[in-house]
Amino acid sequence: MQRVVFSTWQGELIDNRNKPKDEWKESSYKLPLTYEDDLPSRAFIGWDGVAIFDEDIDVVRLACEYALQYQKYSEACGRCTPGRWGGKVLYDLLEKISRGEGLAEDIEQIKKMSQTMIRTSKCEIGKTVPKPILDLIEYYKDQFDRCILEQSKSKEYGKDSRYISKVTAPCIDMCPSKVDIPAYIEALKDMDFEASLSATRVTMPLAHTCGRVCPSPCEDGCRRANLDEPISIMELKRLGADYESDHNLSWIHPYKPEFPRNDGKKVAIIGAGPAGLSAAYYLGLKGIAVDIFEELPVLGGEVAVGVPQFRMPIEKYNKDIELVTSLPTVTVYTNHRVDANRLKEIHKEYDATLLGFGARLSKKVRAKNERTDMEGYWGAIEMLDKVNLWHKYRIGSPVSNELKDKTVVCVGGGFTSLDVVRCAIREGAKKVIMLYRRDEKTIIRNTTYEEYHEAVEEGVEFIFHSAVEEIIDEDNKLKKLIVNRFELVPDPDGGKPQLKKIEGANFEIECDYLIPAVSQALDTQILPEEWEIEMTSWNSIKTNGRDFMTSKEGLFAAGDCEYGPMTIVNAVYQAKRAASVISRYIYTGKLTLNDDEIMEDHLSRLKVYNKDEKIVGWMAGLPRMVSQKLETNERKTNNLEVNLGFSGEEAIAEAQRCMRCYYIAMVAV
Amino acid sequence: MKTVKVTIDGKEIQTSLDRTILQVARENNIYIPTMCYLTKVEPIGACRLCVVEVEGLDGMVLSCQEKVVDGAVIQTNSKALQEERQNIMKLYALNHPLECGVCVKSGECDLQNKTSEFEVNEQSFSLRDIKRKVENWGVISYDSSLCILCEKCVKVCNEIVGKGQLKVEPGGYKAIIVNTKLEDSCIDCGECMAVCPVGALAVNDFKYTTNPWELKKVPSTCTFCSSGCELSYEVKQIGIENSKEKIYRVTNNYEYSSLCGAGRFGFDYENLVTKKDEDEFLNAIEAFKKAEVIKFSSLITNEEALLLKKIAKRVDAKLVCSDAFGFSKFLRAFKKARGKSLWSSTQKKLSQSDAIVVFGSRIKDDAPVVKNHIAMATKRKKAKVVYMHPIEDFAISNLVTKFIKYEPGSEEAMALMLLQVFANKEEMTQDLQDFVDDIDIGFLSGESSISEEEIDELKEEFWKKKRFTLVVGADVFNHPEVENIAKILAAIERYTDFELLVIPPNGNSLGVSLICDLVEKHEGFSVGYNAPADYVLSALGDGDLGMPALNQQEGTFVTLDKRVVPLNAGLEYKGFILNDIANSLGVGSTHTIDFTKELPVDKGFRSIEFDSLEVKFSVDGDDLRGYELETILCDSQIELSEPDELPSYDGTVIYIVNPASNPNPFTNRAKLTSSEAKLIGTKQFASAAKISDGDVVEFEVCGNYISRVFKIDDTLKGTFALNPTFDMGLKAFDLPIYRFSKVKIKKRG
Repeated sequence: MQRVVFSTWQGELIDNRNKPKDEWKESSYKLPLTYEDDLPSRAFIGWDGVAIFDEDIDVVRLACEYALQYQKYSEACGRCTPGRWGGKVLYDLLEKISRGEGLAEDIEQIKKMSQTMIRTSKCEIGKTVPKPILDLIEYYKDQFDRCILEQSKSKEYGKDSRYISKVTAPCIDMCPSKVDIPAYIEALKDMDFEASLSATRVTMPLAHTCGRVCPSPCEDGCRRANLDEPISIMELKRLGADYESDHNLSWIHPYKPEFPRNDGKKVAIIGAGPAGLSAAYYLGLKGIAVDIFEELPVLGGEVAVGVPQFRMPIEKYNKDIELVTSLPTVTVYTNHRVDANRLKEIHKEYDATLLGFGARLSKKVRAKNERTDMEGYWGAIEMLDKVNLWHKYRIGSPVSNELKDKTVVCVGGGFTSLDVVRCAIREGAKKVIMLYRRDEKTIIRNTTYEEYHEAVEEGVEFIFHSAVEEIIDEDNKLKKLIVNRFELVPDPDGGKPQLKKIEGANFEIECDYLIPAVSQALDTQILPEEWEIEMTSWNSIKTNGRDFMTSKEGLFAAGDCEYGPMTIVNAVYQAKRAASVISRYIYTGKLTLNDDEIMEDHLSRLKVYNKDEKIVGWMAGLPRMVSQKLETNERKTNNLEVNLGFSGEEAIAEAQRCMRCYYIAMVAV
Repeated sequence: MKTVKVTIDGKEIQTSLDRTILQVARENNIYIPTMCYLTKVEPIGACRLCVVEVEGLDGMVLSCQEKVVDGAVIQTNSKALQEERQNIMKLYALNHPLECGVCVKSGECDLQNKTSEFEVNEQSFSLRDIKRKVENWGVISYDSSLCILCEKCVKVCNEIVGKGQLKVEPGGYKAIIVNTKLEDSCIDCGECMAVCPVGALAVNDFKYTTNPWELKKVPSTCTFCSSGCELSYEVKQIGIENSKEKIYRVTNNYEYSSLCGAGRFGFDYENLVTKKDEDEFLNAIEAFKKAEVIKFSSLITNEEALLLKKIAKRVDAKLVCSDAFGFSKFLRAFKKARGKSLWSSTQKKLSQSDAIVVFGSRIKDDAPVVKNHIAMATKRKKAKVVYMHPIEDFAISNLVTKFIKYEPGSEEAMALMLLQVFANKEEMTQDLQDFVDDIDIGFLSGESSISEEEIDELKEEFWKKKRFTLVVGADVFNHPEVENIAKILAAIERYTDFELLVIPPNGNSLGVSLICDLVEKHEGFSVGYNAPADYVLSALGDGDLGMPALNQQEGTFVTLDKRVVPLNAGLEYKGFILNDIANSLGVGSTHTIDFTKELPVDKGFRSIEFDSLEVKFSVDGDDLRGYELETILCDSQIELSEPDELPSYDGTVIYIVNPASNPNPFTNRAKLTSSEAKLIGTKQFASAAKISDGDVVEFEVCGNYISRVFKIDDTLKGTFALNPTFDMGLKAFDLPIYRFSKVKIKKRG
């Protein structure tokens, strides 16, 4: 609960003006009372209301500044009549009142223009900007009246106050990388594929990749879901990227890369996975010299050697990788294993070092007689490495040598395990079984509906509510598994149902391979012991989650090695933020965030998406488009990409479902 | 697509789920006002004027973009809607310059019309104005103070033309449209100007010359290439004393169709003949009487082609049409092999394809509007476009997903390889199957210098695609093996998923080939109709007797969409016409267009009066002009052969091609489209020919000595130069040679 003077935020009317402090009503929203460290905010104003923290604030000026921020946003838009002209009329009138030249009828004009904007604007920003302004006119009528009646300037008119604004959207806020989703979708609607890609790459360089294999948390924040179904945000991202690669266009950057600075500053990045590549990209765009050290002979990290070709074709991923390596200040060293000693050297030599080595150790299933040296026991990471190195790079040998006509059991329930079983099918395994402790619903929630079903169609047998108790071998060769069965027992106290072993329900599976894909851990050997790097309770590298510096000065971490096994989009976000912090740190030695990043964190705390909000001005019932997939028999014996992506028209139709839920938020400090 | 039921303004309507409210309303004659809606592109959604109300739904819904859902009850007009629409029109009026009196658009301006419709008679809002500028974009100019940011121009430039060089430069009230590639390759198609609802985009040359409402519209057809696009000549008497009329501009049905720069701006090529020259007319009659050969170009109406045929029969002369002969051979061979007189595809089908091969054409120059349809497929269908040609065209690289470079002369080999890669062999006769299996791909790929992998990749390129179109251009018609190529292409259309779209080499080559029996050449005294000969009748005004240009004639053309479409005379022609000569020879009629109904029915024409040919489009933009030529069926016999050796083109090779903006000697007479003819080549060409940029060079093409300034174009590759012919007068129509030729370049001086 937060103490505010006044608030209309999300319909919660709080008015503590002229009330004794002990009678103050508190707000239930996480409003940004403090802007940064010890800098308090005076007011917060946004799409769903206004909150005042400083009793003395000039609300006429506040309203006027908010309208001005909208004008600044329009600098990037201005693409509908009410937004282009209406917003300017609104600002001109508020400025006139604040200047002390307003007339009573100006308030009426503001109301009239607000109504037109609310009813007819193209995007939510135009529809919502008038809302808090009208709130202020209603609840702070006296301040407006004073300016008009006395023809006096509002009290802070012309004074040096600071207002910081940020444009967001529910989907943007929900996306870890804060990709400007409405922008890339709008560009698709306009069939300007290049503009679409360029909008994506502002915060997401791996557009070919995250248009294919992102679990799309953004779609959980899509307002369209309040109406019918969320937009197929993830797959739409692919269109712009594929346009670039299909037409062999020259690289489409979000802005023109800066000239190499050549100022002697340089940054080292350990690992060329999504995190390393993304950090290199944003540092490279700024002209900062970056050296990437990669242990494997190939670039791309786990997405290259872990995600199979049929989900993420390497030709497409390579485009994202080349986008980064094409930058003149980015240099890559492959086959370059960094150990603790080497890391010490690098840390000394470079102005900053970013760890992005991922989490590539397969965890055990914790069964009896579980030994990694047993023949037939094969960690998921090692197995996928081998599959992918062969199919994508012709390194090593085909895994069908091992798996053909064999029975394979995988223990897991996440993306990695689905990759394992689907690869096993493609390598010719006779029988492929997935053992999962929980149920079908959970596996779908942890992965995607499509992927789970595709695995089923391809012939993977799923055994739910089961876990391996013991591994039986003969002469160190895996023979069979003894498996426990579980059931869900409801908690009598109303808590989460608990998994309970069913006694006497054990069964055996004869198999040739057991592939544990329960989770991954990071290889901490790289961290010099004497640095005593602080770790999280789940044994990943600890940072404050804002600037991504580790406990060692100048050593940053991003991606799975920081967070634990997580998504590509999370790694990209962390790396981009780290790159931004590093780009300042190497010159100032200080860890700072820019206003955009500070506001980004404020809005994430406040939460932008409101699942209870009623949608106005759109008709429900337009079906979400589903892209074409290869038929089971067309895909299960090869590595062709399963998802063919949207056709042009499907993409446009899907893009036209997007409601452009842009919002603008502003803090006065 | 699922059917849905909706109610609009009380009217119950059945329609399909993919239609927008606005589309359904318009189909049912229900009016919803718009400022930014343009039928041929996807909804823009900028003006917000088309908002409607839906029962049970809060707020207003954008009808141009929202698709109908089952059971929706929609109200297109209410007090609240009227109020918001009026407010929007008030916003448009803010600071819009009050210069209607001299504005180029006045009288046909959407802003004027809607301002009046919504009774915006006072300015209730105000805004501080800003300084705005006028920019010159070549033939047209952009006045940002008049611009209402409807974005129609941006949409057509991207979606229809495929250039995407116009962009909105955002900036709220300051937002403007910018031309991002003015310095290079703006092809001046004028599409942006055509769709501008206000005076913001205007033709410089047209400004301040007339009020639009004074112009008389003469609907006709563009004759410059076989796309045969719809257009209207807009005509007015020049002055009070001068009763002569003049074409002021060309407009078109821009909601549905488009035009290229040549069609839109190259309109003033009429032959200014002031009176009938009786003496010369008698000479012409005599010439025809003794003619052993009648030569002509296929820039001619069907009716005149028929007249020439009748005259030839009367005087016992042979018909020679150099620019259509190769094509007529192609057509005959194609028909025999295909069992059908015509190809199956159309431009509309092309725009709906997702797998396209362009073969034997520098497409953006040969047929700019066909290129537009490829652009539409690229944008809307995510089409994979394979461009097969000896010379890459960087101007359309954003549309092409794969370029396959082959050696000049190897079209036959390329066609065979396409057949081999894509054939559904199980449907073929055993002989044909054996032939296809025996095609020596190794040899062909070696000779045409493309790798076998490239051919295999073609199949991958089109993996899972649904609609295939093969566009075939003019390179093949004068190829020595044109008949075998035609047969291979016929086999491709029959035994692969491809439909063919053939681009006839000149405006009405298709009509001419169907109507006339042509011979390749014939000795003896010749009369030329728009062709070099012993006695010449010329619409260029440089012959013995003048003839009307095509903007001065009535008649019909056959388009590559296989439609017979009408031409009307934009301007009067005062001299003698071909029908007069025919009458003197006893084969004419009262009017040339009396022959429209006599066009050969056995070739697919219909016995229809000229005056009953309509110019119209469907709500979805289907071309319904005139009528569709009937495809004649016959037995199909496919006997193919494989080349033993392919011709080689080493050294300095020129390619005959005219730029899109100036395709022939007629456009070279028009003020806005005429240009200087240059030989444009690569650096390699320059060094092989030992010439440099700016040199005047001489060479021989098909017996014509040509002298031109040479220019280097860095975007071209290979040892090639592009040679235009638009400055050659009637000789341009008499070049019956393969488009690539090895020439000896001499530097002058």
